[in-house]
Amino acid sequence: MRPETRSKFHAELDNLEAEVVQLGAQGEVAVRQSVDALVRRDRELAGQVIDGDDALDERYLDIERRILDLFALQTPVASDLRLVSAIMHINLHLERVGDQAVNVAKIALATFDLPTSSVILSHIAEMGDVVCRMLHTAIEAFERRDLELCLKLPAMDDPVDRLNRGMYTEVVKLASDERKLEWGIRMNVVARALERVGDNAVDIGEQVGFLLTGEFREFTDASHDTA
Amino acid sequence: MNAVEVSGLNAWFGDHHVLKDVHMEAQSETVTAMIGPSGCGKSTLIRCLNRMHEEVRGARVTGKVLFNGTDVYAPDTDPVEVRRRIGMVFQRPNPFPTMSVMENAVAGLKLGSRLSKSELRQRGERALRRAGLWEEVKDRLDQPGGRLSGGQQQRLCVARALAVEPEVLLMDEPASALDPSSTLRIEELVEELKDSVTVIIVTHNMQQAARIADWTMFMLNGEVVEADSTEKIFTTPADQRTEDYVTGRFG
Repeated sequence: MRPETRSKFHAELDNLEAEVVQLGAQGEVAVRQSVDALVRRDRELAGQVIDGDDALDERYLDIERRILDLFALQTPVASDLRLVSAIMHINLHLERVGDQAVNVAKIALATFDLPTSSVILSHIAEMGDVVCRMLHTAIEAFERRDLELCLKLPAMDDPVDRLNRGMYTEVVKLASDERKLEWGIRMNVVARALERVGDNAVDIGEQVGFLLTGEFREFTDASHDTA
Repeated sequence: MNAVEVSGLNAWFGDHHVLKDVHMEAQSETVTAMIGPSGCGKSTLIRCLNRMHEEVRGARVTGKVLFNGTDVYAPDTDPVEVRRRIGMVFQRPNPFPTMSVMENAVAGLKLGSRLSKSELRQRGERALRRAGLWEEVKDRLDQPGGRLSGGQQQRLCVARALAVEPEVLLMDEPASALDPSSTLRIEELVEELKDSVTVIIVTHNMQQAARIADWTMFMLNGEVVEADSTEKIFTTPADQRTEDYVTGRFG
């Protein structure tokens, strides 16, 4: 056998993989900080999340541009093609994760003067904790090419979905106090944002599954209730 | 249905064992591409299909090649008839340089068939049309074939091969000596031809195989490593050696 003939291409592919893994870490930190800012009423931290999104977007755009270059100039095939495609999708999911963190941080800033409910706050803290672990797991499965690990994501997502669905009932309990209710309605939106982050983590897991098996498969299907 | 079926094929140049127990199939009216590094035996394999390999001094073949059910190497099979039914186009365009365009197109028909002048001309026109060359040469059919551009000369060779109505067309790197636009013309032509001819093409250009072939075979050191749909070979090949070759991890 003769030596590697596309070392420049494969080096760039390695770099892009490292970049998207770092983007994953950035997204995870942004979500964790946004939830912390909301629960601890930390204005400064909320501001940091919002300001930090530019750096996240910049990295997302840079990865996107470099992927297009690889398609145009290097014509990836086989496992390289699957890796480029997976990076492209994971990149987009992580950019959305960053946007959800900004949404949570903005709501945190907008609701600091309103009265809260400790039950709802604990639910949101729990959701934030779980979706951050999901993001971590998804990226770790990608880095380690671990199919078994990414298949754990749908089960991890179950409590997130359950807490999100239960949020409505908790908010309704605040109906007697107008200001509490206003806060509660905003928190319903936060729960929805975190639920989306969980879905993005599952979607990243699906990309890892595709990378490893070559088969497109949805882990969960929103249109068919499998519960 | 398979137009070509090869089993247990071995080929040698003197002591050099070039093909080792090769099995392959080519379905009728499809395009099959053979890819693999230089010296892997691709060209030898297609030369075994129409008994061209044995023309080289010291060359030897064992095994079976069935062509639409006919045993190509049976003692009573006429190699000339085999080569009429299995046409071939080579890497470098090789029209007869002093013969006119039309004479080139019908050169194969003149051997052994007694067609009238007008019949010959009709068959020549049909072959030139099928090769996508007619519109470019219809006003200079009497000019020497050697005056055409490289890409046109190669399509003239395709026309010459098609004129005798072969069932299979073997192409040994037919575009490797052509410029990019002539290459694309040849690729388009292959797509059109597969409606009526089975095409087996050897190519060094993997993207060309990906663009035009229905089936792709990867060969290495005289063996067929993997043969599957082109889509499978270029997205999820089964064998690590195929994966390493198509992704350029070895050349």
